[in-house]
Amino acid sequence: MKRIFIDADKCIGCKNCLVACMQAHKPGTVSVFGLDFIDPALESRNKILLDSRGKCIPLFCRHCDKPGCATACMSGAMVKEPETGYVRYDSDRCAQCFMCVMNCPYGVLKPDRETGTYVVKCDFCADHNSEPSCVKMCPVKAIYVEEV
Amino acid sequence: MTQRYSCAVCPSADKELGAFIADLPMETSFHRVESQEVKCGFGLTGVCCRLCANGPCRITPDSPKGICGANADTLVARNFLRAVSAGSGCYIHVIENTARNLKDTALAKGELKGKKALERLCDMLSISGSDDYDKAVKVADAVLCDIYKPDFEKMELVKKIAYKPRYEVWEKLGILPGGAKSEVFAGTVKTSTNLNSDPVDMLLHCLRLGISTGIYGLALTNLLNDVIQGEPEIRMAPVGLRVIDPDYINIMLTGHQHSMFAHLQERLKAEDVTKKVQTAGAKGFKLIGCTCVGQDFQLRGAHCTGVFDGHAGNNFTSEAVLATGAIDAVVTEFNCTLPGIEPICDELKIKQICIDSIAKKANADLKEFTYETREAVTNEIIDEIIAAYTGRRGAVPMNLLPEHGNDNTLTGLSENTLKEFLGGTWQPLIDLIVSGQIKGLAAVVGCSSLAGSGHDVLTVELTKELIARDILVLTAGCSSGGIENVGLMTPEAAELAGPNLKAICKQLGIPPVLNFGPCLAIGRLEIVAAEIAEAIGIDIPQLPLVISAPQWLEEQALADGAFALALGLPLHLGTPPFVTGSPVAVQVLCEDMKSLTGGYVFINNDAAESAKLFEDIIVGKRRDLNLP
Amino acid sequence: MKHVIIGASAAGISAAKTIRKQRTDDEIVIISKDDTVYSRCMLHKYISGERSVQDLSFVPEGFFKNSRIRHLAGVNATGIDTAKKVVFFDGGQELYDKLLIATGAESVYPPIDGLKGAENVRALRDLSDAKIIREKALAADNIVIIGAGLVGLDAAYALVEMGKKPIIVDLAEAILPANLDVRAAAAYKTEFEKAGCVFRLGVRVIGVIRDQNGLVTSVTLDGKEALPCGLLIVAAGVRPAIGFLENSGIACTDSVTVNEYLETSVPDVYAAGDVAGLSRNWPNAVKQGEIAAMNMCGVSTVYDDTFALKNTVNFFGILSLSFGEFVPADGDIEYCRESRGRYEKVILRNGVPVGVIRQGDISYSGFWQYLIKNKINIADIPISVWKLSFADSFGMAENGEYEWTVRA
Repeated sequence: MKRIFIDADKCIGCKNCLVACMQAHKPGTVSVFGLDFIDPALESRNKILLDSRGKCIPLFCRHCDKPGCATACMSGAMVKEPETGYVRYDSDRCAQCFMCVMNCPYGVLKPDRETGTYVVKCDFCADHNSEPSCVKMCPVKAIYVEEV
Repeated sequence: MTQRYSCAVCPSADKELGAFIADLPMETSFHRVESQEVKCGFGLTGVCCRLCANGPCRITPDSPKGICGANADTLVARNFLRAVSAGSGCYIHVIENTARNLKDTALAKGELKGKKALERLCDMLSISGSDDYDKAVKVADAVLCDIYKPDFEKMELVKKIAYKPRYEVWEKLGILPGGAKSEVFAGTVKTSTNLNSDPVDMLLHCLRLGISTGIYGLALTNLLNDVIQGEPEIRMAPVGLRVIDPDYINIMLTGHQHSMFAHLQERLKAEDVTKKVQTAGAKGFKLIGCTCVGQDFQLRGAHCTGVFDGHAGNNFTSEAVLATGAIDAVVTEFNCTLPGIEPICDELKIKQICIDSIAKKANADLKEFTYETREAVTNEIIDEIIAAYTGRRGAVPMNLLPEHGNDNTLTGLSENTLKEFLGGTWQPLIDLIVSGQIKGLAAVVGCSSLAGSGHDVLTVELTKELIARDILVLTAGCSSGGIENVGLMTPEAAELAGPNLKAICKQLGIPPVLNFGPCLAIGRLEIVAAEIAEAIGIDIPQLPLVISAPQWLEEQALADGAFALALGLPLHLGTPPFVTGSPVAVQVLCEDMKSLTGGYVFINNDAAESAKLFEDIIVGKRRDLNLP
Repeated sequence: MKHVIIGASAAGISAAKTIRKQRTDDEIVIISKDDTVYSRCMLHKYISGERSVQDLSFVPEGFFKNSRIRHLAGVNATGIDTAKKVVFFDGGQELYDKLLIATGAESVYPPIDGLKGAENVRALRDLSDAKIIREKALAADNIVIIGAGLVGLDAAYALVEMGKKPIIVDLAEAILPANLDVRAAAAYKTEFEKAGCVFRLGVRVIGVIRDQNGLVTSVTLDGKEALPCGLLIVAAGVRPAIGFLENSGIACTDSVTVNEYLETSVPDVYAAGDVAGLSRNWPNAVKQGEIAAMNMCGVSTVYDDTFALKNTVNFFGILSLSFGEFVPADGDIEYCRESRGRYEKVILRNGVPVGVIRQGDISYSGFWQYLIKNKINIADIPISVWKLSFADSFGMAENGEYEWTVRA
């Protein structure tokens, strides 16, 4: 499987990865110009944390080998796909218990901001047939994809 | 032990204010800091360029130049000069309006409260006239004539106002400014797409803007305001949210243009207005000072008794002032009028009126102040505010904080009042400096910002560190508002000073931090510095004086900073002004400037470390002057 | 090798999946009293009509066929002969090489005369319960729920969605005591009340009155007040379902006794999930199923991730999450903040977080579980508890997975 690697020392907090993710998951938009940045439905699946020294730490879903989120899922919505290795989330199956948010040891997951009815979860841009949008848009190569 | 935090707000040096804001039911700037914590590194370091459609271009090791070929130095210098130009433009707008108001007042033979100030100004500018009105018109014209000059014609008053050794340095460097407005224009044009690419030329242009800002926007604005609104007088005044009395119709003021309120403040006292107010059920009108124009009112409070009761707070205190519910209207004419006050005004039915279209707020009614229409506009404003009062009182909750602030902040300091206080000469102060009882001087000026350390945190902590080292602190700007609200400008604050400074303060009954008022008063501090230097017979850079804008916020502050560099002063900033992406800009601002003007920038966001750096600089300057 | 699993819920299914992954050709048999696989955490969504039986499943369609698992559905295990390695159930028996007991738990009825056996009194544990509750609730006017824990409120929430206004009785003064602190729980109480529910807290049910048909018609509270009742739902707790193990020789207390490999006192017999008594939540049951399965497949694996004090609650669109303890002990530091529908609490004991509650916005809070269960001292991280995140612990393994660099 592939995984997004992180070189935190290179991240300078420009949030391009957030913008790229928002766009990739906004149906019908083909560029950043299609985004309404005050639309609460616009969500990014990644986040930039600050550590106690103010250093940027990009936080991206690992699609873990033993995903805590999938273990916690009681509806079958969050599943580790054996073929691809991605942890896939099916919002139609989801029962909104959000135990996946509770059980992600890195605090990657969140309920959606606007309705609180589904989980905002990285899908590796698997539908886009190319490398994840965030990776493509990082200007400093702080994130990159490697086969693991 | 339980520690309760009501809200996700940024820290505040003023703990009472911080707790008050944390408990507010509405969102303020304090609440928004957390969500803006992750800053873009390109923006922070100044290496993002959006000047053309090829952009935005950002500088990285893999992309060291923009598509046009501009490198980090060009990008940074362009961005910086743009900011300084805008900041200078702000102050030049202020002096332009002030000069026009002086002229209009004089032409209409209106009240000029500062006769002595007019005399001094005429002396300084070598202006004579048939009477005070004639003189005032000529003074105003001289100022206006200068700022309207083209950029290839040097302004004339610079030579008359600036300290001579400084003028000579500027002349030698070729940075004497042409017409102040034209210099702003040039700064804007230079930095447009594919024009100037020379970082040094652009940084020197910043100095030119600094001089026009300092001499006109700062120093002259004070002096003209003194003529119109009267000179500062040293007195004790109440500060903080306690100055808000809900029995009155309260008008919060924000901005920088004291002269624009001259008519309003007199009308509020008029008998017919008082009658109207009492019919509406209030005891009268009160002006609640906020931001720098509030500092101006406080400084000249002796001339506005009965209507102005005190200064409530600085830029980021304004939301809290409104949230008390006891403010019925906000009258604004300039910055720092936060967009964030608008939803609060909506929620609490507070009338927003803007009297200068250049700072039009989205929610505000524009009632442009012009001298000709002042009667009608002022009456309209008064009627609308009374209507707002009637409509909102009882309909919105009160949330007062009467214990906030203090009643005995020393105010009214100026280059004249301080000298008079010292006995009409700077010698006593010079003696104290020479003897080492006062180690040196620090000007702690500028704004409050939230993102760096929290509201006024570095400003207040640095000030405490400095006075503890027997360094006398002079303030101008929103720093004054923050420092006074935490009590450092009360005589009791002497206890926090080092042993020598404490003894002096106790003997004189003064605080260890002297409040010169608004950011405009940086111009007054420059006059104080120049007069002391002159009395000693040295140039300004030789003085044991450091200037700091620990929590600079705005482009205006950058123009002020450029003035400090032109004056040759060591300039401390808590956070860098979006230039650190350029090695050339850093080298010029922090090192090479020393050999040009004598000034330089140093950055530190830790109060104790910064104070130590101040002390080291002051000790070094003392050594150079052969002082103990 | 033949694996027999009793129970088709969280632990049983995860064990079956794990075995299949480990051993392609082993035989797997699941015996379950349930006809279908369903998530009992979702039963209230069946009652309310939000989900069909099919939609309660947490396995993909064709799961048993595709995973080559024989599912003996709708049969109750009745006993085990561990010497002969055989499981007995209604109408049959099954030999095993390795056995997993994952029968979960069963409802407890409070010792009140006349409660058990009435047709309109039902606990909520199984799909069969949910079916009856839904059917009776459609016609019932006065519905009483005993128990204001998560199951009781799940039922109440379903009933509210059906337009009903149940009365909820509990001996405890606060609702959701196992899930949240009083302050966070109060937010839900308010919402349930707004929706027409009535809480009778701190009150004991002392009896029921039944009519000539044996139906409960009213519930008597101490103080002698009688609540009219057309349907009584019991949500007063559960106990491990170990009744059929009597005389099996498998050591039990209240639950099946297991070692750290989740093996029982009898070789080749394992237990996982609620029946093993180690925890009562879904993620831990799944994890135990996995671990037991690994050991059944001969891959020696220790169950060490035993932390079970974790919860989420979601009613009326208010999301809450909790880890660890809710009430500070002497000497603890409790940090609280609340604003605009958000409530957060962190309890530190000597610098180590022992409890966290978040309500309103639970985003990005999973990392707290790691800190709490691993007793990591955060006092040395110079950042406020509100801004703490994985950032200060950030590390990356060679395969790109995260690694914690801050340790206990």
